[in-house]
Amino acid sequence: MSITTVRPLSFFLSLAALLVVALLLPHFANRGIIFLAGIVAINIVFGIAFNFAFAKAGVLSFGHAMFFAVGAYATGYMTINQDWMPFLLILLVAVSAGALLAIVTALLALRRAGGVSFAVITLALGALIHVIITKTTVLGRNDGLAGIARPPLDLGVVSIPLGVGDNYYYFLIVTCALAVLLMWGLWSNRFGRSLQAVKSDPARADFLGIDVDAKRLQAFTISGTMAALSGALFAPWAQIVSPEVALWTQSTMPVLFALLGGSAFFLGPAVGAILFGFLDYGTRTMVGVSDLLVGGLLLAVVLAVPGGILGMLSTLWNRFGGRRNNGATPVATSEVHQ
Amino acid sequence: MINSINRRTVLTALGASALATPFISRRSFAQGSDPIKIGVLTALSGAQEFIGNFVLTGAQIAADQINAAGGINGRQVQLEVRDDRNAPADATTAARELVGLGAHLQLGTISSAIALAMGPLMQQEGGIALTCGAGTEKLNHENYSDHVFRPGDSPYMRNRAEAQLLAQRNPDVTTWTGLVPDHEYGRTTWAVFMDGLLQFYPEIAKKEVEILDPIIVPYGVGDYRTFVTQAARTPANGIYNSTYGGDSVTLFQQARPFKLFEDRILMDSANEFIVAEALKAQTPSFWTGIHWYYETNKGNPLSDALYADYVKKTGNEQPMGWVAEAHAALYAYKAAIEKAGSTETADVIAALKGLEWDTATGKRIMRAEDNQVIKDVEMIYIEPDASDPKGYKVTDYVKVDGNTVIEPAMPGQKMELRKPT
Repeated sequence: MSITTVRPLSFFLSLAALLVVALLLPHFANRGIIFLAGIVAINIVFGIAFNFAFAKAGVLSFGHAMFFAVGAYATGYMTINQDWMPFLLILLVAVSAGALLAIVTALLALRRAGGVSFAVITLALGALIHVIITKTTVLGRNDGLAGIARPPLDLGVVSIPLGVGDNYYYFLIVTCALAVLLMWGLWSNRFGRSLQAVKSDPARADFLGIDVDAKRLQAFTISGTMAALSGALFAPWAQIVSPEVALWTQSTMPVLFALLGGSAFFLGPAVGAILFGFLDYGTRTMVGVSDLLVGGLLLAVVLAVPGGILGMLSTLWNRFGGRRNNGATPVATSEVHQ
Repeated sequence: MINSINRRTVLTALGASALATPFISRRSFAQGSDPIKIGVLTALSGAQEFIGNFVLTGAQIAADQINAAGGINGRQVQLEVRDDRNAPADATTAARELVGLGAHLQLGTISSAIALAMGPLMQQEGGIALTCGAGTEKLNHENYSDHVFRPGDSPYMRNRAEAQLLAQRNPDVTTWTGLVPDHEYGRTTWAVFMDGLLQFYPEIAKKEVEILDPIIVPYGVGDYRTFVTQAARTPANGIYNSTYGGDSVTLFQQARPFKLFEDRILMDSANEFIVAEALKAQTPSFWTGIHWYYETNKGNPLSDALYADYVKKTGNEQPMGWVAEAHAALYAYKAAIEKAGSTETADVIAALKGLEWDTATGKRIMRAEDNQVIKDVEMIYIEPDASDPKGYKVTDYVKVDGNTVIEPAMPGQKMELRKPT
């Protein structure tokens, strides 16, 4: 299978299935499950955003929490203090703040360092953002911003009160689906293939006329922007933003989702985020051992199945299923798929 | 060991209370004679685990006592326990899940950030949260919510009561500084303590106080010697401490060679027995705020029963005050449900407002305007004692009338404080 192969049907079927389940959930699940589903949807966008830069352009970041935090804090601050602003404008400003931070980070560091060096710089920048938040009074310092309302969604002809019932949940799910759709478009098109070329062989890509630095910057900016969107959606959902969202532990989450689900696959982080949600919920009453259990399981999966869940399924499928009769080469898990 | 509730006990409690019932709607829980589900959402792992275990134990003892006495309006109390992991995201998920399970009446929050998150959450989901030691003053000020109640003393009451006691007991100690953690909680408690000094020293001791800049110490570090020497160099003859838990233990230990606390009065905001249990005979002599001390409340049947049940349940003879906070919170629900004749959220909120009920620390009154309880503030004086098996002993204990230190109700407005000129 070529690395540029795109199979829209399986992607759209997967997305549609997830969307249907998510939209039907409020009809049969309790409030905690619905809230967790919203968090999983946010994590899916966060994970895919990280993986967009990592798997597609080879730009590894250990500080993606800073984008998430900027989106979350910007939305929280404006929702509380600038309540005259339409919610869509708030989201736009929050996402733009994430984009700006990503551009500045990339301009400062991406040209000077690559690989692990760049990852360490993002880790340090992330720590700096965390410290700034905890020292900034208007951001609530260590208490964070509490009491974040869910403002109405003014669409011109109609205004939807997002604070009522499950309205914000539906808005969240639809927005996450649109974000995933947008990233899939970028992942699968000519732009995505040029990023793949940069990742696979930068020297050759450069020789072929691709501006390697520009492509990396673009990939990282898109990634940071989408991570900021996930944070922006999180703030009114959780109704509180605390400095923990900027901690390095938050930065490890998308890495974990990607490794768990399969970083070579576009929907790999989505699978990882969903599985992590199940694990987190299933172990919620196992006090003291839940983190150990979740960590141990994740470690086992990552070690036993280096290509992640989707990588394993793909290998099994190629060995026993669809590829049996056509003689095609099994898919290597290091390749990137839609 | 300051608490003999072990992990296995907690696991048993959780396992019993949390079967896989996520898809059951709250509506499916009938009233009738079914048990009343009360959610206990507190820190059972992470940095505040040791406090959360006291909260859980207090709630369990109260539930057992209430059930043994016939329940609430004939219905048994059933606790649904969840770990908030001291993280707002985990806490809000668990709180919503508990509401979905029918446990819309909840208690146990000790983290300020989580307590602040509970207001909009409970308003949205139709639940109630009773905090058990959350320190932020914003709960009954700028972040006030009808759905969140503080059945214990606020930082405003606690720190002003401490200043009032000092003005009475140590009128000559008029130069003060503080060891204040670089944290919202630290700054707030210091600001309130200053307010108390500025009011009570002129009123009671008839003297003006000199307040020096506090020494701001970082949170969670291993070496406090720089800050200790900084404090030792000041002319202060009184030191206020609002560092907390392990930080205080480290700081107090490192202060010993510098004799920082030997010739000075030390007022500790809220460590209860934490430092003394860790340092034993090496503990300095100091006053500390406490939610409940059983000796202070001897003769109060609820306190005596709580202490006896605690010792019986845990084998530990030194409970900390958070036990009584959860105990009082569950008794508040009992009194409110009996008063309202209903467990519906709106009815219970209405009943909690203005509620008077008996607790292990005496009668408490829930102020209707801002959901802040009016109760006496308790303090104990701890001294090292090598002859005592514990290594320390409580040599004095007092109660300060809560009415003399509480602020006027100002829901939705920021706290107003005196400042040094």
